[in-house]
Amino acid sequence: MASRSLAIPAPDVAPRHATRSAKSGHDRHGDDRTWRWVTFGPALALMLALSVLPLANLLVTSFYDVTWAQGQAVWSPVGLAHYLALPGDELFRAGLRNTLIFAIGAVGGQMVIGFALALLCSRVAHGRVVYRTIFILPILIPGIVVGAIWKLMLNYDFGLINQAIGLIGLDPRDWLGANETALASVIVVDIWHWTPFCFLLFLAGIESLPQDVYEAARVDGAKAWQELVYITLPMMWPAILVTFAFRLVLAFKVFDEVYLLTSGGPGTATEVVSFTLYQRFFTEDRVGYGAAMSVAVIFIVSLLLVLALTTRRRSEASA
Amino acid sequence: MDNNRTFLSRRDMLAGAGAGIALSTLAPGSARAASVSPFTIVINQSPWFDSFRKTVELYEKETGNKVELDVNPFAGSLEKQRNSVRAAKGQYDLLIMNSGWFAEMYFGGFVEAISDIDPGFKLDPDVYSLGETIYFDPVKKTMTKNGKLMSMPISPLIPLLYYRGDLYKEAGLKAPETFAELEANARRFNNPPRMYGIVQRGARGPHTVAYDFYPYLYGFGGSIFKDQSAGDYSVMLNDEKGRAALDYYLRLAREAGHPKTASLDQAEVIQNMVTGKAAHTMIVIAAWSQMDDPAKSAVVDKVEFAPTPHVQGVPTAPGLGHWLGGIARNVPDDRKRAAVEFLRWFQTKDAQVAAAKFGAIPINAAAYRDPISQERQFRWMKPLAESLPHAVNIYQFPEASEVIAILELGLNRAVAGEITSVDALNTMADQIETVMAKYNYNTGKLPPLR
Repeated sequence: MASRSLAIPAPDVAPRHATRSAKSGHDRHGDDRTWRWVTFGPALALMLALSVLPLANLLVTSFYDVTWAQGQAVWSPVGLAHYLALPGDELFRAGLRNTLIFAIGAVGGQMVIGFALALLCSRVAHGRVVYRTIFILPILIPGIVVGAIWKLMLNYDFGLINQAIGLIGLDPRDWLGANETALASVIVVDIWHWTPFCFLLFLAGIESLPQDVYEAARVDGAKAWQELVYITLPMMWPAILVTFAFRLVLAFKVFDEVYLLTSGGPGTATEVVSFTLYQRFFTEDRVGYGAAMSVAVIFIVSLLLVLALTTRRRSEASA
Repeated sequence: MDNNRTFLSRRDMLAGAGAGIALSTLAPGSARAASVSPFTIVINQSPWFDSFRKTVELYEKETGNKVELDVNPFAGSLEKQRNSVRAAKGQYDLLIMNSGWFAEMYFGGFVEAISDIDPGFKLDPDVYSLGETIYFDPVKKTMTKNGKLMSMPISPLIPLLYYRGDLYKEAGLKAPETFAELEANARRFNNPPRMYGIVQRGARGPHTVAYDFYPYLYGFGGSIFKDQSAGDYSVMLNDEKGRAALDYYLRLAREAGHPKTASLDQAEVIQNMVTGKAAHTMIVIAAWSQMDDPAKSAVVDKVEFAPTPHVQGVPTAPGLGHWLGGIARNVPDDRKRAAVEFLRWFQTKDAQVAAAKFGAIPINAAAYRDPISQERQFRWMKPLAESLPHAVNIYQFPEASEVIAILELGLNRAVAGEITSVDALNTMADQIETVMAKYNYNTGKLPPLR
């Protein structure tokens, strides 16, 4: 197609006219470019000021040690020392490992439960608003309240959960204090807190699916599970990927639940990168090292996002 | 209008103004305090905050001066203080600094010596110097009486032994003085899950299990560093005394303590005590009022207090978890002087007796000699007065938070049973020595324990 259009002979027009036309086109092009910069420039400057500059500042700080004397900051260059120290940081290593486990476990649980709830809710004929309201309640609760609720629920001596399992003859468990259950408990709390997010996105997606496809499938004798596997899931795939990417990034940033429930313990069982970062940067006031850790975490989260988006593009292309 | 009035010459006016200034300088504290500027105190929302607020209100009532309180969570208060003191002009005048970060403020040059703001300021000799932490020598970087007066104690928090006096009376026991007595008594009352012999604060936190461990470590004669005041930061944590202390701490937890010590923070420890599930605990004295609060406690009037136990030949050695008030360097002079006036009033016996009645822990030894200390509700005053002179300042350098983080992780892993006491002590000692070397302190370490 392209080569054929290129083969069309050029119109026989006077060179003077063509030159004049090209010149005025050039002027117009220049005017357009100026106008573009005038209109786009402020937005670009704002973006630079709000996102790129702070990141650049973080990057620069990561190559320094910052201490204080006589009320003044003393900046000492350390090169790549902070980055080289990261792999040897026991808390950072444990934080990365646990964050990956947390992200996979929590996001996986939220996706499955959120999707199931959305499917159920989409098929409810009466009282749908009531169900929706109930399902989204946890996401409306502030993180600090979620921490308080679950700290009480999981308390060894007085917790509701231990009292409940005591009724069926089971011994109480130290949900937040035992290595084998602490991270799982935090994951369960996160699933409880954030499943409504997935539920809402999935419900919006399911309700916007074309009904004629389902009607045609039913005419062809499709069963409910076939509708789910061959119609709903393939058509929902882009929404599922977007939700997954959103939640994965948010799960990687988990902080409040760990801070409120376990402070990373017992040992390093629930240490996550955001909590390590908080300790190094804020509690220990190691600004340079904390900045290096921040840059590393931003890099890892960006990588995850790129991976998720690439997967989405590929799946869309193959569809 | 009086036409016969005498007009003052310029010289007379200057002389009068000078005399006025001189008189105001020589006048007693309360008279001067009446004319100072309003100023701002940045403080944390601790259990003792309400008593401090009431004490400040009393100051305002007595002097007519205005004080603004900026109240924050523990960590939030530190961040606000850092942001304020690192700015060109500070927002907060009087900084209420915790034992975990006052050294950062001294070493960083962020607080100004009270004696520099007002060379005439006299520290009441009965005010506790709390391990000399109110003094700092900016040249030698040490906290000794030879340094300048940098701050005033605000809340002299240290741990005491809380024990069930009613059970002791029934059993005919006396308050334990040594660790051996504490262990025997804890075993005697240990009857889980109805009652735990002792409940310890073994969770990992900002300053949780490490703070709980200090009275054991120092009560066994051990220490983290060899001699901080002399500038010797050699790590002694993993010596035989350290091992004895940690083994004892773990043995108490496993054989006479709460089964889930590794996950207990202060709130859970207090919960166990006020619900009658703990026979002993060692927590900061600030929790005393909760023991006798009928709305919170099932053991009203049943809890007694004693200095933290120790081994024979070593004094009680509670770790300081106190709060100090320091004046920011980067605030206007009139506000600095206003803060000094408040501290001048706050340190007096009268103010401290009033503060105690509001629920505070007095900073002035004279308040502990007042008849108030004989009242039943203030039965903690006598053991606290005995303990305060022995309080240990655990850290005298600004990078303490890195050492605390190491202790929190290592001790919590030992309590949780992840690693042995020997592994925990050796690992922590190694890591602490690395931190101290990184900041160029004179440090070293012992051969590893076997």
